[in-house]
Amino acid sequence: MLEPDILQKFISVVGPERCKATKEDLLTYAYDACIHEFLPDAILFPKSGTEVSEIMKIAQTHSVFVTPRGAGSGLGGEALAKQGGVVMCFTMMNRILEINKANRYAVVEPGVVIAEFQKEVEKHNLFYPPDPGSAAVATMGGAVAMNAGGMRGVKYGVTRDYLLGLEIVLPSGEIMTTGAVTTKDVTGYDLTRLICGSEGTLAVLTKIIVRLLPKPRAKRTLQAVYDVIDDAGTTVSKIIEAGIVPATLELMDKTIIKALEDFAHLGLPLDAEAVLLMDVDGDPDLVEKQAAAVAGFCREQGAREVRVSASEKENEQLWVARRSAFGAVARMRPNCLIEDATVPVSYLTSAIKKVIEAGKRNNIPIGVLAHAGDGNLHPLILFDLRDSDEMARVEKAMDEIVDYALSVGGTLSGEHGIGITKSKYLPKQLSQTSLNVMRGIKKLFDPQGILNPGSFLEDHKS
Amino acid sequence: MISEQLREEVHKCIKCGLCMNACPVYKQLYFEGVSPRGKVQLIKKVFDATLDPSENFHNLLFTCLLCETCSVNCPSGLKIDRLLKAMRAELEDKFGLPWQKRMVFHLLSGSRLLPFAMFWGRTLGTTLLSLFAKTGKLGTIPYAKIPRINPVPLIKQYPETISPDKEKVGRVIYFVGCATNYLFENVGKSVISVLTRLGVEVVIPKKQMCCGLPIFLSGARKMALNNIRTNLRILNEGNVDAVLVDCATCGSALKKEYIHILEEMGENTEAAKALASKVLDVSEYLSRFDIRKLLGPVQGRVTYHDPCHLVRSQAVKEEPRDLLKMIPELEFVEMFGADTCCGGGGSFQWEHPDVASGITNKKIEAIGDTHADLVASGCPGCRLQISGNLESELIRVVHPVELLAKSMEERTSGSPR
Repeated sequence: MLEPDILQKFISVVGPERCKATKEDLLTYAYDACIHEFLPDAILFPKSGTEVSEIMKIAQTHSVFVTPRGAGSGLGGEALAKQGGVVMCFTMMNRILEINKANRYAVVEPGVVIAEFQKEVEKHNLFYPPDPGSAAVATMGGAVAMNAGGMRGVKYGVTRDYLLGLEIVLPSGEIMTTGAVTTKDVTGYDLTRLICGSEGTLAVLTKIIVRLLPKPRAKRTLQAVYDVIDDAGTTVSKIIEAGIVPATLELMDKTIIKALEDFAHLGLPLDAEAVLLMDVDGDPDLVEKQAAAVAGFCREQGAREVRVSASEKENEQLWVARRSAFGAVARMRPNCLIEDATVPVSYLTSAIKKVIEAGKRNNIPIGVLAHAGDGNLHPLILFDLRDSDEMARVEKAMDEIVDYALSVGGTLSGEHGIGITKSKYLPKQLSQTSLNVMRGIKKLFDPQGILNPGSFLEDHKS
Repeated sequence: MISEQLREEVHKCIKCGLCMNACPVYKQLYFEGVSPRGKVQLIKKVFDATLDPSENFHNLLFTCLLCETCSVNCPSGLKIDRLLKAMRAELEDKFGLPWQKRMVFHLLSGSRLLPFAMFWGRTLGTTLLSLFAKTGKLGTIPYAKIPRINPVPLIKQYPETISPDKEKVGRVIYFVGCATNYLFENVGKSVISVLTRLGVEVVIPKKQMCCGLPIFLSGARKMALNNIRTNLRILNEGNVDAVLVDCATCGSALKKEYIHILEEMGENTEAAKALASKVLDVSEYLSRFDIRKLLGPVQGRVTYHDPCHLVRSQAVKEEPRDLLKMIPELEFVEMFGADTCCGGGGSFQWEHPDVASGITNKKIEAIGDTHADLVASGCPGCRLQISGNLESELIRVVHPVELLAKSMEERTSGSPR
């Protein structure tokens, strides 16, 4: 519990309106999009770097735990107050400070919602590619802290690839900037990218500078339906071997197709084993050529049906299936866990088969979505949280999926992060030396251990 | 008691948060408790007895426009709005209603006092309004912008059956609704004019009552039962092609809410289902006709605002637009975020004026960007909220059917072509 006079000190920084501590407030900041819940003692909503700094100074003086949080759409409990203390929530610190067209960068506060930022830059004919599935709600700060990816990863990379610089507040309350607005910058250690993906354990973000691209002038969407999932896999390899880099390359398996048909009746064949959905973008001429080439690969590899969109509107129509997929599957059972183990692209189809096997073996329904172009699997694992026997089987299926991904040189998590849901697997991928180095870095930034305690590094002493 | 089926809804929430940024109220206040996800999670805690329904919880339940944007955006298909409505009803006994609502609902749930109150409302005007607030505003709407009450209620201006003076091609019951009956008589006159010009016979049952929606959405379901039962009896009588409404809110009550409420109260839903199958928004019904040949030119530039109770509750989106686009010379222009709530939300704008005006200002801005001089919308609540907050005197808010009626008049009064 937070002592009243300490709470009062926090209130003196943010004012009573932006400090919330009723029972209803605490309950609604106890969760994110994973299944765990931890009650904080209060929630603070800073609106400036100075306020964040003041909050950290008070926290340091009184050893109060602080956990930074964006929109709370994380999938691993990263932004939960795992050991109590205050949640520092950034949803009210949400201004776009600058969109610089001449130098193609933007400066934002951490609470800006990704999709809204994207809409805003597109008005200036610019483009911010990283688009995690949660972009409609997730914040830029959360995306940086988690190094969020998304469907465009195959061509455009992830959040890290667009970061130019940051303003951060250290647990001591000191304000520090990293990076520069220039694309090239080799001055000192690359602290920008160290903070990116640190899951809120090293410092608190207060400003983010991102690189922008010119908006691609044209886009075509292709949909290919396969009777045999291996053919879809081979198509992906062929496209990549041919040197074509699609903007997105998404795969949906049989379970997803069935769920989609039950729910949205899109006319997908129920006996198909896989559907590939692809975007090619760029200059209009090139896009036409690439679309034709990709369609050719699909047919050669035995796709039974290939559709190439002819307009923006048709692009959207073809995407309806993929966009509805999560919802269609999620409503099959009360709970849905989105796995994100990632494998080298050439192992994609065998990994999907392993996932399906793991589901069958443990009697757990699993539908597989995949960002096929970068080997990022998204098994959608369905269950009812209230059934403990089922939960044990879910856990086992997850163990098997993770083990397979690691056995072929993949990673525990492609884009969701470790948090508390995957921390137990950490020693499987990271050596003791690697963990020691990480813990050393954590100690340097946060000697008192007040920032985001109970995070992935501490949870699993190996 | 909230039904087992509805209680199960809370377990379907996977807390993804996709409802949050769709929620106009969350986007004003930016804290979890007012978001749909937050409310669903709190209701879950009330169900499992971790949380005692507090005053604060009750306030959060009413910090909601019931615009249903969350429900249509939920990937898991949670009926979030139904859950909130049921929870409001559940807590009505414990927390009661504010006296202003009690008074208004008392009027709406009876048939005798309402015309009497409306007469005095017209006579006394703003003197009566200052009972509600002394700020010169009703919520966000200045008294001066609240329309004058109809001199005579619309229902009293017409016989029960209005026959067309041409070959009869259809017969409908017209459910007038309080707003048209007492505030916007020109909407009613336009509906009747357009229908009879098409050759449709219009029946206006004299004993129809307020649809009851403002009452039951505030949680006072028992108080609304008489309205529901009376309307079900009266509107299910007689052989008609359809039961028409000109008000999005009445439409959603008759098409959806009656069934939900009766079902959740354990009452028989047969009559409600029978009625629902016949109810159409006037724009849906008019879409069945080839009205183009009856239309004359109307000058101006029009944009369309989707009422929540039409676009989401009833999935009516294209019909009103298509009708407007048929009017010769009238220029149609789509506004940004046409289907975003206007911020009215019935009594919401009165209970939360600051939040409401933030939402409404965005709507007004989107309207301004279109340079339209007409905003068409088939909901009296949206009409009040938008026209009450428009600074410009040059923009008028109308019902699409008013423009159709005007267009038809132009055709007959203009020079023959």
